[in-house]
Amino acid sequence: MSIVETERVEAVEPVAPAEPVERTEGAAARRNSAAEAPAIITDLFDAMTRRGMSLVDVTWEQHRLHESRRWSVMEMLADVDLESLTPLDRTLVWNAGRAELTTKPGADRLERQAEAECRRWQESNPAVAAIMQACGTWSRYWNEEEAHHETVFNRLADLGGMDPISDETFIAFRQVFPDDDMLRTLVLLAISEITAAVNYGQCQHVIQDEGLRRIFKQVAADEIQHRNYFVSFAKALVDSGEYHAKDAFAVAHLFLREDGELQGSARDQLEERGTHVNWWDQLDTGDSDFRPEALEKKEQLICGALRKITGIEVHTREEVEDTWMDLVGS
Amino acid sequence: MVTPGVESYIRQKFAEHAGLSEDQLFVDDVTLAAVIGRSPRMTNSIDLMEAFARTANALRKDYGVRVRLPALPLDTPVSTVLKVFIEEFERQKKEAAA
Repeated sequence: MSIVETERVEAVEPVAPAEPVERTEGAAARRNSAAEAPAIITDLFDAMTRRGMSLVDVTWEQHRLHESRRWSVMEMLADVDLESLTPLDRTLVWNAGRAELTTKPGADRLERQAEAECRRWQESNPAVAAIMQACGTWSRYWNEEEAHHETVFNRLADLGGMDPISDETFIAFRQVFPDDDMLRTLVLLAISEITAAVNYGQCQHVIQDEGLRRIFKQVAADEIQHRNYFVSFAKALVDSGEYHAKDAFAVAHLFLREDGELQGSARDQLEERGTHVNWWDQLDTGDSDFRPEALEKKEQLICGALRKITGIEVHTREEVEDTWMDLVGS
Repeated sequence: MVTPGVESYIRQKFAEHAGLSEDQLFVDDVTLAAVIGRSPRMTNSIDLMEAFARTANALRKDYGVRVRLPALPLDTPVSTVLKVFIEEFERQKKEAAA
């Protein structure tokens, strides 16, 4: 087994799942790992227990990956030809801006919940506490990257004279999702990132303006990177033996089942949640026939995430349901 | 024709997995949102889904019939859920026998 099993972030094709890249290196090499391309640690539990990586080591890996992927909203915006945008382009930008408003409360919540979970596990299982701390620490990078997404789309919508987002909507979309079991939380966030990445990937195919297409491509690649992090943290919790694979499958089933969350705003009846806004419930493509669903691709990526998190191989939503039912028991 | 005993079996199993009495669920005919609110074992709709899954698994074990429930909105009353459960049970039982 390698010292650091990592997952590189796809820079070009955001919807294709990346396979883990294994590295074999000793502690000294790890200390000099700036020479290696930055990557996500995909076997975090093993890294932090058997291989002895510290939180400082893990944070270094998180930081250099974040730093290597930084990009400028202002530079990206400068390359968009506002006059050339089609009505569909404008709708896609407007929806993306609204959707991205919900990520800040997600990241704020993750930071708070991971910190609380870290304290909860500190005495009974220090390895789990360390994983929670690594997750909470990473949430600052996630929040910063999502800030880029939110502002690039909303600034573009504003410059293009699109329907303004009222302060009431802004505040409503900032509502915080209620707390839940940490494994379920991480799997839900992984699936949310998959959904966003596939949607943005689909949008690229219908956008004509090169500058705008580049923005969607960059944001999709970021979302895939976030998915990889959530999968890594979720896998670490399952590997610790303190969290059960059934909960990962439960969340996947919630999305994949008939009339499930993956159907988003296309569902006949949406829940009146009252507590928070799920961005996928709020997409509004107006008079356009275009809907960036690609449900099969999402199903495939969700099954892939489940395999990485739990080690259990499934290929269809029916298999997800069957496996979940078996894991639940009676 | 409903299989004798199956309705009370579903009521009992669902109440057990929700951590509530049958009266708390069925006398008031509460909604699924209220079930989550009242249950000491539920935080959100994933727990509710799991209580249905455990009930379905118990049915499969004791009656040999596999029931799959559709996604039901949280304002659905439990009487409707029970009806859907029984209809699905009878449909699956008939298909299995065909």
